[in-house]
Amino acid sequence: MATAEDRRAVARRAPGRLSFSWLGLVGFVLVLVLLAVALVQARQFALLRQAVQMGDDYVVPLVFQAEIEQLRLHEQWRRAADERVPLDTETLRLRYEIWVSRVEMLHGQNTQRLIEGQDDHRQTLQQVRDFIAAADKALGPAPTAVLDRDFVTALAPQLEALTAPMHGLSLSAAHKVSEQLMQRGVTVRQQNQLGLGLTMFLSVLTLAFAFIALRQVRQLRERRAVLEELATKLRFARREAEAASDAKSAFLANMSHEIRTPFHGLMGMLSLLRETGLTPRQIDYLRTATESADHLLALLNDILDMSQLESGRVALAVAPVDLRALLRDVEALMRPQANAKPLALHIDADPTVPERILADATRLKQIVFNLLSNAIKFTDRGAVVLDVRTRKGLSDQPEIVFAVSDTGIGMDEATQAQLFNRFVQGDSTRSRRHGGTGLGLEISRNLARLMGGDITVRSKPGEGSCFTLHMPLQVPPGPATEAAAPAPQGVEASRPLKVLVAEDHPVNRQYMAALLENLGHDAHFTTNGEEAVQALRRQRFDVVLMDLHMPVLDGVAATRAIRALTDTERSTVPIVALTADAFAETRDRCLVAGMNDFLTKPVNLERLATSLRRLFGTGMPAAQAAPAPPRQAATGRDGSPVVDEAAIAMALQAMSREKLAAMVEDFLDQAPETVQRLRAAVRDAQPLELRTNAHAAKGAALNLGLVGLAATAEALQAGAAHLPAHEVARLVQRYEDLVPATRTALRSLGVLRATPQDAVTG
Amino acid sequence: MSNFSLEERVAGCRRRTFLRLGGGLLLAAATPLHALQPPTGPVVLTVGGRVRMPNDGAQAQFDMTMLEALPQTSFTTRTPWYAQARRFTGPLLRDVLSAAGAQGSLIRLTALNDYRVDMPFEDAQRHDVIVARLLDDKPMAVRDKGPLFVIYPFDSRPELRGAVYFSRSAWQLRKIDVL
Repeated sequence: MATAEDRRAVARRAPGRLSFSWLGLVGFVLVLVLLAVALVQARQFALLRQAVQMGDDYVVPLVFQAEIEQLRLHEQWRRAADERVPLDTETLRLRYEIWVSRVEMLHGQNTQRLIEGQDDHRQTLQQVRDFIAAADKALGPAPTAVLDRDFVTALAPQLEALTAPMHGLSLSAAHKVSEQLMQRGVTVRQQNQLGLGLTMFLSVLTLAFAFIALRQVRQLRERRAVLEELATKLRFARREAEAASDAKSAFLANMSHEIRTPFHGLMGMLSLLRETGLTPRQIDYLRTATESADHLLALLNDILDMSQLESGRVALAVAPVDLRALLRDVEALMRPQANAKPLALHIDADPTVPERILADATRLKQIVFNLLSNAIKFTDRGAVVLDVRTRKGLSDQPEIVFAVSDTGIGMDEATQAQLFNRFVQGDSTRSRRHGGTGLGLEISRNLARLMGGDITVRSKPGEGSCFTLHMPLQVPPGPATEAAAPAPQGVEASRPLKVLVAEDHPVNRQYMAALLENLGHDAHFTTNGEEAVQALRRQRFDVVLMDLHMPVLDGVAATRAIRALTDTERSTVPIVALTADAFAETRDRCLVAGMNDFLTKPVNLERLATSLRRLFGTGMPAAQAAPAPPRQAATGRDGSPVVDEAAIAMALQAMSREKLAAMVEDFLDQAPETVQRLRAAVRDAQPLELRTNAHAAKGAALNLGLVGLAATAEALQAGAAHLPAHEVARLVQRYEDLVPATRTALRSLGVLRATPQDAVTG
Repeated sequence: MSNFSLEERVAGCRRRTFLRLGGGLLLAAATPLHALQPPTGPVVLTVGGRVRMPNDGAQAQFDMTMLEALPQTSFTTRTPWYAQARRFTGPLLRDVLSAAGAQGSLIRLTALNDYRVDMPFEDAQRHDVIVARLLDDKPMAVRDKGPLFVIYPFDSRPELRGAVYFSRSAWQLRKIDVL
């Protein structure tokens, strides 16, 4: 958990807004300074270019040259005026021309700029122009006067007067230019200083920028470390919380399981109490006590389911399910509740719904029960309808839909939204009246989702509700395997196999002996897994037929022991499982343990032969050919089948009627003993004992085709752990009741001989 | 800041190459046959020093007609001496030097007023320096810095617009000494 301290730590070490704004400010100033540096440099460049273009520096030599030419002309002029020397007009003319060209330059722009604002210089230039005008009369390109000594002498003073001003001009230019140079130097120096300053500032700013950025990075790193630490703490906390939650779920599951065991004993006692001749008043008390106990058990079951769902311990046992039978069971259980109110209960399956589907029957039943009992609970009059159909779901996958609609109180949307939440009931004011944990719908929805489906609800207050369970429709490969079984080809002479049968139930042993004898094999028997392993140690067998549920060492454990034998010939003996369970899970368990095949009871001649053929090749005898009798079952008084004629016909293929009759008699004669053991298990609250006994009875009954007894035994086996004690007691009673009914049915089929009593009562 | 487009520069280079080649051929082929004729008019330019085709003692002398006879080049350029850009016309300096069979590393220009400036021999080859005899298509008087004016094509390259090149542009050119 994030403590307040952690949060403060994160806040404290977080890089503040302040730091970011500093970074921004420094960055901004940095950019400004860079711009300023660029500006200074641009100005320096401009200055330099201006200096070059103006050519001010060039003015000094210009003026200097002009002065020299002035002096030369002056000298030449003086010589021309000298009467002792002959007049050299050519040289004078050239000197004059050169001088003119030089002084002309002084009228140029640069010079003009230089002497700007200096009247004496302007006067000088005027003097120069005046002299040229005068001299050109004889020396110019279009002379009007004769160049003679007189002309020269006349103009000499004027030329003489130019000497001083020209010199002044020269000096002035020199000073001006050096002034300019100095000025420029100053400017350049200033700009250099400015540039230097800016560069230093720039360096400082860059350092500051780097420092702040560095600090930022460090702070981010620290912050990340804090966050990581926090995340680790949170992870730990979550793991601890999950572990605690798991532990709670496990505790809850264990406790509800533990509570149930003594509770079953209590309920068994209550049901036995009823048969002790009570007064009506005591019966009334007893009924109240039983109802309370039922309620309590329902609560325990819900809690157990929920905790198991939560801890993910629920695994679906998917197996082929007879859907119509399942619906009949549901109806049988629900009708009394509906009949207690003026309520019609309709359970209807669309003809397109397959007979058999792949599902976890117990869980599917649980969901449908829950939806129906809710509907009945919240509907006072009208009808509750369960409608089963198929449809195309999302992505065109076929779905099976169980829609439970009622004409009850209905719900508003707020209630619907909360409906699947734990401990929430449709209307809290009614929960007391209707009872229940409020876990039912949540469990149902979780189960539905586990099955790949879901539960949805549509409802309006006062108009009833409709709960819909939908799940993917899976159809088992079906009876096709049975139909495709190769036609029996009659008993062939073949290698007799030495078969070891491990089977604890005496009837089953007899039955298997008969089957193997029929197939011409040599059967040896042991009554538990331990004995089977011992037998294999002693001698070699071709194959082992292994019942799964046996005392001392069960089939799976025995198989592991055999596979672990050191003698490879013994340890690799083929093992075929025999079991009354058709669950894929059981099958997987067997194959994982190292078994080679899997036969479900009832084991008939054909199946056994097929299995052995699969293991030992086509040389094995197939089952005797016999016309398949119509699949029809003799029914008991309440209409449910008691005896499977087809199975009996199969058994009769393997053995004589007398032998079968003897076996059946044996089994039926043991029934009172079985019932006694079952009752004892109920009384002592020993669900395991109950299940083992029921399972054994179921296996034998299946082999003999006694489906009524087998179904009851199966219900006992399945419900041993969670059915209310009085239900278990009822099932045991039913088992007991079915024994005479079975006998009667077998007599009517001619398996057992009719007795005079039957003639009278039948 | 160049006033010349790339194409013009390329064209300029080609022309220079061609001229250099032409000059070389002239130099190689003409030494004995086309010896420089002596000037007929007043001498305006004397090329002295390392001259292989002298026509007056050790010097090569040119009158205006001889300079006119060489291939003429014209360009307009801004100069420090005139407010506006002016048009100059005259033979290329390198043509004048080849006509005199001059070969050296340095040339010394001397003006009428004894102004003197040295110019690397290279300059005449590298730049289209002309010995201008016409300013705006008119002959130049001495007072107009004539009659000959060494002019660099200042506007063709920015680096030419500097004091060094301005000082090498001797006006009133009188004599070239090849060193």
